[in-house]
Amino acid sequence: MVYQGNPVSEGIAMGKVMLYEPFIPVVDGTAISKEEIPAALSHYKNARGGAKEELEALHSRLRQDDPGKAKIIKAHMDILFDVAMEEEIQDAISDGKSTEAAVDKIFRKYIRIIGKSADERIRERASDLEDVRCRLLRNCMGVKEKNLAFLTDPVVVVAKDLFPSDTASMDRKKVLAIVTEVGGPTSHTAIIARSYEIPALLGVPNILSGLQNGQQVIVDAVEGSLITDPTDEEQKAYKEKEIRFQEKAAETRQYLEGDAVTKDGVKIEVELNIGSANAQEIHDIQYTNGVGLFRSEFLYMGRDTLPSEEEQYKIYRKVLTQAGGNPVTLRTLDIGGDKKLDCMELPKEDNPFLGNRALRLCLQHRDIFKTQLRAALRAGTIGNLWIMFPMVGSLDDVRSAKAVVREVQQDLDREKIEYGKNIKFGIMIEIPAIAMIADLAVKEVDFASIGTNDLCQYTTAVDRLNQNVASYYQSYHPAMFRLIRYTVEQFNKAGKPIGVCGELGGDKLAMPVLLGFGMRRISMGIASLARAKKIISRLDLNLAKEMADKVCRMETAGDVEAYLKDSLKDII
Amino acid sequence: MYSRKTVIANATGLHARPASDFIAAAGEFESKIKIRRVGGDPEEDVGNAKSIINVLALGLAQGEEVELSAEGPDEKQAVDRLVALIDSKFGE
Repeated sequence: MVYQGNPVSEGIAMGKVMLYEPFIPVVDGTAISKEEIPAALSHYKNARGGAKEELEALHSRLRQDDPGKAKIIKAHMDILFDVAMEEEIQDAISDGKSTEAAVDKIFRKYIRIIGKSADERIRERASDLEDVRCRLLRNCMGVKEKNLAFLTDPVVVVAKDLFPSDTASMDRKKVLAIVTEVGGPTSHTAIIARSYEIPALLGVPNILSGLQNGQQVIVDAVEGSLITDPTDEEQKAYKEKEIRFQEKAAETRQYLEGDAVTKDGVKIEVELNIGSANAQEIHDIQYTNGVGLFRSEFLYMGRDTLPSEEEQYKIYRKVLTQAGGNPVTLRTLDIGGDKKLDCMELPKEDNPFLGNRALRLCLQHRDIFKTQLRAALRAGTIGNLWIMFPMVGSLDDVRSAKAVVREVQQDLDREKIEYGKNIKFGIMIEIPAIAMIADLAVKEVDFASIGTNDLCQYTTAVDRLNQNVASYYQSYHPAMFRLIRYTVEQFNKAGKPIGVCGELGGDKLAMPVLLGFGMRRISMGIASLARAKKIISRLDLNLAKEMADKVCRMETAGDVEAYLKDSLKDII
Repeated sequence: MYSRKTVIANATGLHARPASDFIAAAGEFESKIKIRRVGGDPEEDVGNAKSIINVLALGLAQGEEVELSAEGPDEKQAVDRLVALIDSKFGE
């Protein structure tokens, strides 16, 4: 049997299936007799002890790898031993409820109360309670923990979907491949799989009911297929294919260092997307011509307080130093939409992607925006800083943002504090409205970078997190290419830098088209970097121009994809 | 039994870190300690001051008045210490 899926992280793997399904407790509500109460009380204590051991093991593993996640596990421990809940559970057992029924009742009660809290940060704790409820009930029922943290043998993980809590604790050395029923190339699972270099095949319908634990499968996350119970011949063929894939990957890695120059001798600026500016990211900057996207919101995430001006200043300084004279494109705080902050309560919105996010939010919370701008302006006395505003839809937005910059500059002047005088100011192109007036926008900014993930979501009117409409999210939609072409042309005409920092920038099929439009700067995650440089070195810009003209005249995303696959087959 | 009233003074209210600090302080005492929202429902708006879940469930915001009451060998110290903690704004 062969299943088809979306290969979001390339690779080939062969191995045994592990069906990964969350434990769903079914609670028996039968009352217990008076004589059974003492046993039920000690059963509760024992189950709690078992849950505690699991959490302790998880905590000690995460403490070094991921302190943020370890903190969540510590919070689960506090819930498990909460005095008020303990008392109520014991009372319910003494009233004749079984251990499971008592635990279930009290946890559900608090999940309901906490879930209704007016404060969003408290409401979110309901999911922690739910986690602990399942863990405790599973221990009551004597069911062993099944998670991705403790795997004895290497397995192909097959699941409906994976949550951040699953992937955070995943033992990545034992996971041969990931296969899920839902998820696309920009999903959380896809991003994690690529960064861990684990082959991943997502969006395989009904795969869970089709497979059994321990079944032998081949996951071909190059072509996008999964083969069950392969014959000896198929196994042999795939082993050879895997060797070829590994050879190709090794060859690709050689391109990591060195400049990206097309076959016909044109230099392309290849830049890096970074987030938290951790040691690995800082290290990787050396392989690039600068930082094309510094997602500064990562400095604000997973903490209770806002980062101070001094804290931000130090981090910006560190990145600027590492980049030398190369550009560091700092995107100002981009939250709202799918990104939330613990240190700031934001009202719930019906359509968060169309709501108060990114620059809109910053213009409303001026103090937070100004703190960031002050830190950035001060850091910009060294290096080559480019400040970029996200979610710009009109020239009003550009002017409002620049007005705040001027206020901050005046404050610094008045306080006689030094700041960078040669900083460039630019915008993200991710709203179609600004792309369509790129000829006007270019006059007000120093540069722009196209954020293709959001541009696609807003152009095709698809919430990119909504699985039900995932097939409408078409990155290769001809409209996307027309919008990008127009923007690139306007910026090139004005002689101002125009780049791309979304997924399409590192996409093996779309990137050559962008170069064909005349784009000369592309920014991407480290995982795509070597491959992109390799493709560039084999690409003739005349072919790129020809492809670029053609795709803008094509009718559907499917036509574009088929055409690009065919035209580029000797290059990628 | 000893009790005192005070008003939540810090901006974030009794959430997140302040809530953790609060129950940690309450846990140091032997007495049973209750925290109650003044003017709230006598059944629902009262909780065990040593329970993070109870404290979060109350969801006390800045400006709300609470009553702390304790019963036990160190009841006075417990209530005085917790009132002082709330009045200190948890270092915010």
